[in-house]
Amino acid sequence: MKRRDFLKFSASTALALAALDMDKKGGFFKAATSYAKETGSLPGSLGAKEVPSVCEMCFWRCPIVGKVKGGRLVKIEGNPKSPANGTRVCARGNSGVQLVYDPDRLKYPLKRMGERGEGKWAKISWDEALDEVAHNMDKVRKKYGPHALAYFDHGASAEFTREIFKALGTENYSSEPAFFQCVGPVAIAYLNTMGFVVSGTRQYIDMANAKAILLVASHIGENVHVSHVREFIEGLSKGAKLVVVDPRFSAAANKADIYLPIRPGTDTALLLAWINYVIQHGLYEKEFVERNCIGFDKVRAAVKDYTLEWAAKICDLDVKDIEAAIKLLAENRPHVAVHPGRHSTWYGTGDVERHHALSILASIFGAVGQKGGIYFPTPVKKAHAHCAACSEEHEIEEPDVSLRDNFPFVEPLPGTPTGAIIEATLTGKPYPIRLWGINGVNIIQTIPDPYKTMEAIKKLDFIYCEEMLPGETAIWSDIVLPSATYLERYDALYAYDGLTPYLTVRQPVIDPPFEVKTPYWIAKELAKRLGLKCFTCENEREFIEEELKELGNSLEKLNQKGGLITIKPNPYRSPDKLEMPTESGKILLYVEDYEDEDLDPVPRFVPTPAPPKGYARLIYGRVPVHTFSRTMNNLWLHNEWPENHAWINDQVAKKIGIKDGDEIVLENQDGRRSNPVKAKVTPGIRPDCIYLPHGFGSKSKHLTKAYGKGASDQFLITKTVTDPFMGSTSKRTNFVRILKGEKALEIPELRPVPKEIPRFELKRA
Amino acid sequence: MSQYAMVIDLDRCVGCHACAVACRAEWKVPVEEGYRRNWVKRIGPVATPHGLSYTFYPGLCNHCDHPVCVDVCPVDPEERTFKSFKDGRTKKMTIKATYKEPFTGIVLIDKERCIGCGACVEACPYHARYLDETLDEPKADKCTFCFERISRGEVPACVKTCIGDARIFGDLSDPNSEVSKLVKAGARRLESKVVKIGPNVYWKGKKKDIHALMSAFAPMEKTWEEVKNGPDRLRRSLIKALV
Ligand code: SF4
Ligand code: SF4
Ligand code: SF4
Repeated sequence: MKRRDFLKFSASTALALAALDMDKKGGFFKAATSYAKETGSLPGSLGAKEVPSVCEMCFWRCPIVGKVKGGRLVKIEGNPKSPANGTRVCARGNSGVQLVYDPDRLKYPLKRMGERGEGKWAKISWDEALDEVAHNMDKVRKKYGPHALAYFDHGASAEFTREIFKALGTENYSSEPAFFQCVGPVAIAYLNTMGFVVSGTRQYIDMANAKAILLVASHIGENVHVSHVREFIEGLSKGAKLVVVDPRFSAAANKADIYLPIRPGTDTALLLAWINYVIQHGLYEKEFVERNCIGFDKVRAAVKDYTLEWAAKICDLDVKDIEAAIKLLAENRPHVAVHPGRHSTWYGTGDVERHHALSILASIFGAVGQKGGIYFPTPVKKAHAHCAACSEEHEIEEPDVSLRDNFPFVEPLPGTPTGAIIEATLTGKPYPIRLWGINGVNIIQTIPDPYKTMEAIKKLDFIYCEEMLPGETAIWSDIVLPSATYLERYDALYAYDGLTPYLTVRQPVIDPPFEVKTPYWIAKELAKRLGLKCFTCENEREFIEEELKELGNSLEKLNQKGGLITIKPNPYRSPDKLEMPTESGKILLYVEDYEDEDLDPVPRFVPTPAPPKGYARLIYGRVPVHTFSRTMNNLWLHNEWPENHAWINDQVAKKIGIKDGDEIVLENQDGRRSNPVKAKVTPGIRPDCIYLPHGFGSKSKHLTKAYGKGASDQFLITKTVTDPFMGSTSKRTNFVRILKGEKALEIPELRPVPKEIPRFELKRA
Repeated sequence: MSQYAMVIDLDRCVGCHACAVACRAEWKVPVEEGYRRNWVKRIGPVATPHGLSYTFYPGLCNHCDHPVCVDVCPVDPEERTFKSFKDGRTKKMTIKATYKEPFTGIVLIDKERCIGCGACVEACPYHARYLDETLDEPKADKCTFCFERISRGEVPACVKTCIGDARIFGDLSDPNSEVSKLVKAGARRLESKVVKIGPNVYWKGKKKDIHALMSAFAPMEKTWEEVKNGPDRLRRSLIKALV
């Protein structure tokens, strides 16, 4: 296949940093708070010293101000200068205070004393810890070759050390679960049709100006990214119609004009029938399609047999409702926000196809580059200081058999599928992997089949992590390096290229406590020990200043402006001159490259197996006050939401004698059992699935608040299907039944499965 | 005389709990069972006559017109001079340890005089108060509409952080204020036949969501005892007439 040069796009026409002041006058009164200096003893957080910085309670990275009184961080608010969030931060953003002061925090470098997974440590010095990590990296590399090193990373703290793994020459250096367990399929789908990642870290979808919005299982509101939520609410408040497709009645579904409780695994059937209906009824933007799309006729031919009646049967929906929904969306074209989705590693097969279908629907509505549709990121000029990475160019020599080989579309993205790394670690094939470095990711609670992950870890010569809290990753590590939180360090400039672009910087609000060190310092020290020429600046501040200088700015100047400068957005294009960042400049409805790899060039509906008799499909999602499994030990967040509940359909519950609040255990198709969890009995979920919010049920005793609270969805996800495009692993391919006491309760099948959908076959011992 | 009030727009609320956490941070509310000035409770998904509802109860003290919490306070009344932060006018009033501030209608607690008996905590039908027993001498505490902040030109902490701009704060005595307009347009408060003490927090939203909120959280029980002696006979007789 041809390499998609999507990187070219973000680096194209750089916009000068116009310091446009776009502050919103949101306040009820005029704010009287002083900036930068602490004043007297006013009540609450008033009069605190305010330091502009960037949140990292999740990866959305909202601009913030940290409020400090008497040397103590007392509160976090949104940066009033930010055009994206203003003074607002979410519950997690507010709770950064309790990450800093969590008494369970890792304070010193630790060395494992007991077995891996036991969580028994001895305190050691930084020198000992770094020497040991460097020694093992060097030893494994010399003995087994560079690819025997693997690095699992997520978030800002992980980026410096990633450069070291790259410099050492491994292909396994960016094994972001964020990609292979989350956004992979949607990113690949849009990269290949539209030439850029419409949904990766960000979602470039103009809900704020849409006249209609379609969400396919995106539960915005339970999944909180402040500016994204704000754009959703703004669109609705201006009268946008909302269609929500989701087996569960989510907080977003509650706001819908039309809610479609779809049978899980059949979304693509609905989308293809909708595309066919739109084409058959001439409800598409003909001129836009002619000018800007390639492959329309092939799409028309490929979808012609997918009727609404057929979809209604497959999806278990009322045909009248699905017709009303597509009419409502079509009426409002081109100002329709067909949300691309985000977390998309659902079924393994058909994941890329589902998002490909969404991109086709958006395209034939002409909803690309227009108000209310998919929009273009605004290029923000960036600078790269030499000492923010390694100064020498390091070639990564591909191994004879690469772990990326089987996945033709993984190419434009760095990283190796996490599933492939774990398999290679377990089997030693196609080559041995003997050392893991982990930074900012809970590998046990994020990657499917944690039992397999734990087995793989046992095979390693060495495993270390850089962490803030003693979660699962730490208890499985040989060496634990305690890292500063985002509130205790400089680390980079942050540019936002969405609807409200800006440039800002993360800077320390308070000093790192105990013996914790910043990720830059740790990477610098490791590089030194490995004889690599990396991170030659004294500290982070030095390279940030260097980068700002290149942009004609400085930290002092930036801070005088409140730590942030806004940039004029440029999201829309004329439909006559769309100039997509693809080779042809057009949208590829039909993706020839897929055909070359024996994959469907136009999506086709391939059913995912239905639950076996007596079981329901396990589905999962987010709660608004937690990020992954990262925040469950946070005092304030834990207090708001200490444990999860298993959502069970009320009719099912009645039939099997479960009452709201009953304590139950879930058992999956492989006999794996969950922690006890309370049942939430509600009409707001289909009878053929059980919903478990993600991230609970910590297995680390060192997290004194989170340990054992609620049930872990990940520990019930032991059956995965690998995506053929880029190797992501599915998470919605598992089935559960309920245990009450020791009694197994079979889930009655209240919505019969049509014969077109095969049934998952249980392996009975 | 002003009466400050809040309207919470459930169509804009996403149930993110930012308000509850920001309040805890601003006022250092300890993490203990039942300790909070501001909360978000989730309702449903539940069937209503108007369709399925999955909504929220973002709640706080209602700064009631007839605050039964004030009535039950046993602390001896004392004269105090109040000064308006808006125009500097003053007013004399006898107050107990908890009182309705004359210029804003905000119900406050004088921490110096509170004896920590918990009578107000018991009396409030909205469970808006808690007794802070982490202190050497326990004191009652609750939402103050961020009196300390608004008197210095700031907005309440929950309003400042609300990611959906769902919380609208203002003066009900000003007919042009946004809160007045929303109340006129039909925003509802949490009341029942039994409990009607003039709350000043309102909610607006879809019929189904308001129905779900009212069914789950409108107080149905009288939680307070009538008090014989007190400074404000008129108001008490008013409450008696209502209940
Ligand atoms: S969405 Fe919340 S947690 Fe994420 S960066 Fe913004 S404030 Fe922080
Ligand atoms: S809500 Fe409760 S505490 Fe607040 S004024 Fe009314 S009765 Fe008093
Ligand atoms: S902060 Fe606003 S949107 Fe979030 S729960 Fe509170 S009222 Fe609702």
